[in-house]
Amino acid sequence: MRAVHAICAVVLALGCQGVGAQTQAKDPALPPDPPPPLIAPRSEPQPLEGVVFPVRQQQDDGFRPLSELPPEEQLPAAPMLVGAYAFVVLALFAYVLSLSRRLRAVANDIVTLEKQVKRSERS
Amino acid sequence: MPAAIVVGLMFAVSPVLIAYTPYEAEMGLVQKIFYYHLPSAWMFLLGGIVAGVASARYLRTGDVRHDHVAWAAVELVVLFGALTLVTGPLWARKTWGVWWTWDVRLTSSLVSWMVAVAYLLVRRYAGPGSDRLAASLALFGMANVPFIYISVNFWRTIHPLTTVVPTLPVSLGIPLWFCTFTFLGLFLLLLRLRVRLEAQRARLDAIYLSLDE
Repeated sequence: MRAVHAICAVVLALGCQGVGAQTQAKDPALPPDPPPPLIAPRSEPQPLEGVVFPVRQQQDDGFRPLSELPPEEQLPAAPMLVGAYAFVVLALFAYVLSLSRRLRAVANDIVTLEKQVKRSERS
Repeated sequence: MPAAIVVGLMFAVSPVLIAYTPYEAEMGLVQKIFYYHLPSAWMFLLGGIVAGVASARYLRTGDVRHDHVAWAAVELVVLFGALTLVTGPLWARKTWGVWWTWDVRLTSSLVSWMVAVAYLLVRRYAGPGSDRLAASLALFGMANVPFIYISVNFWRTIHPLTTVVPTLPVSLGIPLWFCTFTFLGLFLLLLRLRVRLEAQRARLDAIYLSLDE
């Protein structure tokens, strides 16, 4: 695109010089034309003959947001949510159960051993 | 006991509160996993810090009470780490399209969880002297905690950043903080019970020794 702009600028500048040469033949009573602009006016670049511009390809990097998938390809959220909450509740319940059993077992052992200690002290 | 009732009630109320929370605009229903996933992850990291500090104090002083706290905390690291590592992929499957990716946050969390499992295996099977070896492992686990937390801010990641929580709207923030305090209460309660179990075991060993003598 920059090359096209540069070519257009050169063409316009050359055209302005040609116009300037023609004004010298004009009537001297007329006011002189304003000097040519230092920067060529911005215009829509026209395609040049014989120049082939590459066609912009649609970018495809393989990424498609899940939200843009058709409904039949989207995963349902409810099983994931229920699965997550069920796992949390069951895991915590299992741990509390395991902990209470271990505590109870140790407490029973302590009671049994303390009885043995008392018996051995008496005897 | 009152603390257990309060925590139990909070835990029972939390799903109701979450059910009435509005849907997040982009993720919809599956975003609600976040209310248990994030508090679990925080308790996972908190457990790692508690275990590391207690182990450091045990290595320094030799006081077995610190060792009991460390052992109890590591067991909770395994528990809450498992909750985090299971609920996270359930969310990711819907949101990212994959169960697991070797993202820095996920990988470092898995490593930390495996360190905690290694601690428990060492305590169970390594025999005499395993307490000090396990304490060293707990220190390594604690060193990993800040890495897990800040990893998403320094590495390229698809995991949500640490800036998500402070920018949550009130309607989503209230259930999150409610669940966080519920999990914190649960963590402290379970830690206390687990430490009590170790104290009882120590008492049992003392009675055995007195019988032998």
